[in-house]
Amino acid sequence: MTIKYKTIKEIKKMISQKEISNKEIVEEVYKLIDENSDLNAFVTLNKDSSIKKAEDLDNNPSDSSLAGIPIAQKDLFCTKGIRTTCGSKILDNFIPPYSATVIENLENAGCISVGKTNMDEFAMGSSNETSFFGNVHNPWGEKLVPGGSSGGSASAVAAGIVPAASGTDTGGSIRQPASLCGITGIKPTYGRVSRWGMIAFASSLDQAGPMARTAEDCALLLNEMCSHDIKDTTSLDENIPNFEDSINEPLKGKKVGVVKDLDLSSLDDDVISVYENSLQEFVSLGAELVNISLPNLSLSVPTYYVVAPAECSSNLSRFDGVKFGRRSENPKDLEELYIQTRSEGFGDEVKRRILIGSYVLSAGYYDAYYKKAQQVRRLIKKDFDEAFSDVDVIMTPTTRGPAFEIGSKVSDPIQMYLEDLFTISANLAGLPAMSLPNGNIDNRPIGLQIIGNFLDESTILNFGHMYQTKTNWHMFTPEGVK
Amino acid sequence: MDKKTVTTISYLSRLKIDSEKEQKIVKDLDNIIKFVDQLNDVDTSSIEPLTNPLEKTAKTRKDEVTAKNLKKELLEVAPSANEDYFLVPRVVE
Repeated sequence: MTIKYKTIKEIKKMISQKEISNKEIVEEVYKLIDENSDLNAFVTLNKDSSIKKAEDLDNNPSDSSLAGIPIAQKDLFCTKGIRTTCGSKILDNFIPPYSATVIENLENAGCISVGKTNMDEFAMGSSNETSFFGNVHNPWGEKLVPGGSSGGSASAVAAGIVPAASGTDTGGSIRQPASLCGITGIKPTYGRVSRWGMIAFASSLDQAGPMARTAEDCALLLNEMCSHDIKDTTSLDENIPNFEDSINEPLKGKKVGVVKDLDLSSLDDDVISVYENSLQEFVSLGAELVNISLPNLSLSVPTYYVVAPAECSSNLSRFDGVKFGRRSENPKDLEELYIQTRSEGFGDEVKRRILIGSYVLSAGYYDAYYKKAQQVRRLIKKDFDEAFSDVDVIMTPTTRGPAFEIGSKVSDPIQMYLEDLFTISANLAGLPAMSLPNGNIDNRPIGLQIIGNFLDESTILNFGHMYQTKTNWHMFTPEGVK
Repeated sequence: MDKKTVTTISYLSRLKIDSEKEQKIVKDLDNIIKFVDQLNDVDTSSIEPLTNPLEKTAKTRKDEVTAKNLKKELLEVAPSANEDYFLVPRVVE
């Protein structure tokens, strides 16, 4: 019995039929982590306490929804007593005294947090090349990036080490690595999942979500991750449905918005044909394709690269060497303590974004950049509001292509930023969006993005699950179809 | 974007830029600002800025103590602290 490449649903069945013990599951996870150490997907492991938790479950079985399911947690979530680095040198010694609400929710549901996954530093990157702890490799090819910023989480799930991982998504950081690693991941509506205990990057965009092998597993995880949290003022106090309930609804008569002003000219022909083939799959499932217009979509990336750096420069001012994390040695005064600590502790991409943020927020430029970007942000949201009066979901490719080689884009920030061309708009508008595998190009997976209306994760998961009952792209692994 | 501007915003950000990296940073920032400058072509004259996608006012709650005081635990993870305070180099002589 092995759990490699198994879904949560399958592992739950294995546990309930006593085909495998909880301890055997966790021990296999650590064996797989060890065998796949070249991926560099994990930064910190939580071995002793995970094995203990599994033994306790073997002695006292639980009927919690995710009892015994091993999960890898992105190293951006604070975990009580377990080092939390956010991929940065400045936090390489930080052990939080509390856990993020999302972590508590998942652990209360029975998940075993086996370790913390590598990521782009402070979630700023699309290739996992900005981590202080080194590049993460894509299980589909050692020279390929896994995407970012949740690259370690995506790589660990794609390699079959764990059935599930947590991620966060500010401009595509769940969906883009899910696409590049051939797994399924969803960014919920802004406010669905508490941000308390998540290390903040851009507070009006950040949202946590699940990464797993199937849409059905994402629904199981999302059921537990969502909650109204009084500790996060942007946490929504709205009804949280059981996301599994509507997953099997027929798609007949439902409408898929196809963006007619989407510029596909920079995409390879095979990327476009993978995308168009999946649209036809939905037609054969009974859905109707409807042309919609999102005229301001092309402004998403420039808008994001004003809003996100502005919020980042403000959020990251807390890393000053005083209250937690690393402090530089022997500063001559307080100001030198701040400057040296931050200059030594942050990497180049983080510094670049802080500088852009300081620039667009500085006197004389505030209206020209920050206010302007927020105005365009409203135009982008308005486009979506109008489109969703006609359709149930909107589909686009998740990424411009499959995984690219490590080092190929890292020297040109703009090229890297354009990686998130299709994903960023959902963050700006606060909408839920998922990526799921829909093809394979030169033995590299690629994903389809399904964007939903505000608070309507259920419909996205329904579309994703129905697609996965008809296709087997989600069963492709680096070792063949499982 | 020029060297002088980068020096100013570096100080505002409390960051020191290595001299050998300075040229590349000026160039990168200049490219990024030129890239976002395309927003200026959009007519936004009557558009209210959108600061947060929810646009809902945060709910109020009863003023009750809900969190545990973590003073001891928080001071323990500080780079330098005594029983009550974070410690930093002397500010007042």
